[in-house]
Amino acid sequence: MSLLKLDAATIKFGGLVAVNAVSFELNKGDLFGLIGPNGAGKTTTFNIVTGVYKPTSGTITFKGRSIGGTPSNKIASLGIARTFQNIRLFKALSVLENVVVGGYLRHNTGLMSALAYLPPSINETNRLKAEAMELLKVVNLAHVADVRSADLSYGMQRRLEIARAMATQPELLLLDEPAAGMNPLEKEELLVMVKKIRDEHGMTVLLIEHDMRFVMNLCEKIVVLDHGEEIASGPPSAIRNDPKVIAAYLGEAV
Amino acid sequence: MKFWLIRLLSVAVAILGCVGLQVAAGSQSDYVQRLLTLAGLYVTLSVSLNLINGITGQFSIGHAAFYQVGAYLGGFLSVRFFHTSGLPPIPWLIVTLIAGAAGAAIAGFVVGLPSLRLKGDYLAIVTLGFGEIIRIQVQNTPALGGSYGMNVEPKITSIAVVWLLAILCIAICRNLLKTATGLSFLAVREDEVASSAMGVNVTRAKVSAFVLGSAFAGGAGALLASFEGFITPATFGMDVSFIILTMVVLGGTGSITGSVVSAIFLSLLPEYLRGLKSASGGPLTLTGATVVAYMVAVVVAVAVIRHVYQDGGRTKINRLLWTFGALIGAVIVQIIASVALNKIGPMHEKQIVINQLRMVIFAVTLIVLMLLRPQGVFAHHEFSWTWLSKLREPKKEVAA
Repeated sequence: MSLLKLDAATIKFGGLVAVNAVSFELNKGDLFGLIGPNGAGKTTTFNIVTGVYKPTSGTITFKGRSIGGTPSNKIASLGIARTFQNIRLFKALSVLENVVVGGYLRHNTGLMSALAYLPPSINETNRLKAEAMELLKVVNLAHVADVRSADLSYGMQRRLEIARAMATQPELLLLDEPAAGMNPLEKEELLVMVKKIRDEHGMTVLLIEHDMRFVMNLCEKIVVLDHGEEIASGPPSAIRNDPKVIAAYLGEAV
Repeated sequence: MKFWLIRLLSVAVAILGCVGLQVAAGSQSDYVQRLLTLAGLYVTLSVSLNLINGITGQFSIGHAAFYQVGAYLGGFLSVRFFHTSGLPPIPWLIVTLIAGAAGAAIAGFVVGLPSLRLKGDYLAIVTLGFGEIIRIQVQNTPALGGSYGMNVEPKITSIAVVWLLAILCIAICRNLLKTATGLSFLAVREDEVASSAMGVNVTRAKVSAFVLGSAFAGGAGALLASFEGFITPATFGMDVSFIILTMVVLGGTGSITGSVVSAIFLSLLPEYLRGLKSASGGPLTLTGATVVAYMVAVVVAVAVIRHVYQDGGRTKINRLLWTFGALIGAVIVQIIASVALNKIGPMHEKQIVINQLRMVIFAVTLIVLMLLRPQGVFAHHEFSWTWLSKLREPKKEVAA
């Protein structure tokens, strides 16, 4: 059975059709790429899947359950986590605290216990902190755990976003341009890291990326969007030579 | 075991401290007792608003409304039921405190649930509007005394209860911030979309903070009603909301320490200025020229200090020396300017009683603090012993 299935997912903003009848299917363990020129509707697709927007029509099924229009926080607890294209860290919080918030949905004590600082709440907080520390090791940020997240370099902030999303222990991880603003060396490290997330942590990964070399090396299956419509899908080798894709990126031959 | 022992001990220390404060204040004048009570109430108000505004990031400027709900509910209950209840004053005071808190919490829930979908300025307008609605509604309700106000019988003064409420409010906020739940509140302040995507129930966090903050304001209101013995809608006007907000912002939004310190400072400063005496014992008077000289000195000092702190290339020592220099310079400027200006006839003749200027001084203090430290006195920091020891360490550089 597929993990995530979009069936003719469509969203319109007034007269603008941002995503038009996009359908694709992810299986468990996929490394899936979503590419397309600027304004193609990639991030909007992410926003539909994570409940930021409600699709105008079409269905989105996650683990056999329809999730179109479900609130973001519910979707996160169902097992979909994401990062953001324009980094959205909790800037004033420390690196560790950012990841703790990611784990907060697995926290099962009430507000009263926190207000009275009772042992259940203390223990849960300590457990989340320990788990967060482990995740920081995965993304190589353990040495800056106490630094304010806004003070990190750009590449580090992107990695922290991944760690924070992983802290929700999702089955499906959506990465929105994880390599943007990284230098070639950082991109290499990220490539290894994303593979590791899939292989060792068992998460299915769907990512948006503009760096073609990065996507082609990493992803096993790719969907290409242009002007909100799906124009191609398949393995990287097929996408690379697809005339429609080349036309979308470079323009038609005159 | 050790945990509960420490917990028990700290509660005991808090109660003993508050009772001690009341005993110590007992021998003081009514005026001093009044100041202590009001300072305690303002600490509760500003720390509880800090929970809503600073920690959860919901810009509410209608805090006085919840203060008022608590005051009128507590006062009304006292008038109606104190004698039939047969309770001694202090337990009764605690009953009205709880009732006022519960009433304000319900009000907070009713207002919060629909309006917390709004953000920033829009939420501010709704809370401001709600504050006015409550005030005007009470003003037009004869059963509550209308705009004449309501006499609250019996009058009960207990500095210990006032400060215990303040300490409870501080303790709850501090506890919250130490747990993952508190971090989720902070996350809501930082970025609602991201915290929702991480599974934080944003609405629930906001409403919880709003209800809790309102409850403490309501509790403080009930204490105020019993303390004053007389309340009118004018006691809870917009200016009260704004002064509480000022306390939060001045202390540094999000910092509990900041809210406490600035609540005490801002509630006592006007009173201190009111009582200023000259050497001969009369009210302190200065000539117009001297007042102008003070203003010039303040402007000079602020300008120099701001310039020094905006220049990133300076070392800490250099900054401190310049700040110190600016202060000494300001004193010199003040002396020279006042001597010079006092030579000018009309300015020398105009006598100004300083306690008439107290609101001006209050305003100038705020302006100066906001110019020199826009993030608030304590910014996001909290007082702690480790924080004290960290002050001496050099700032760490972040390696890429």
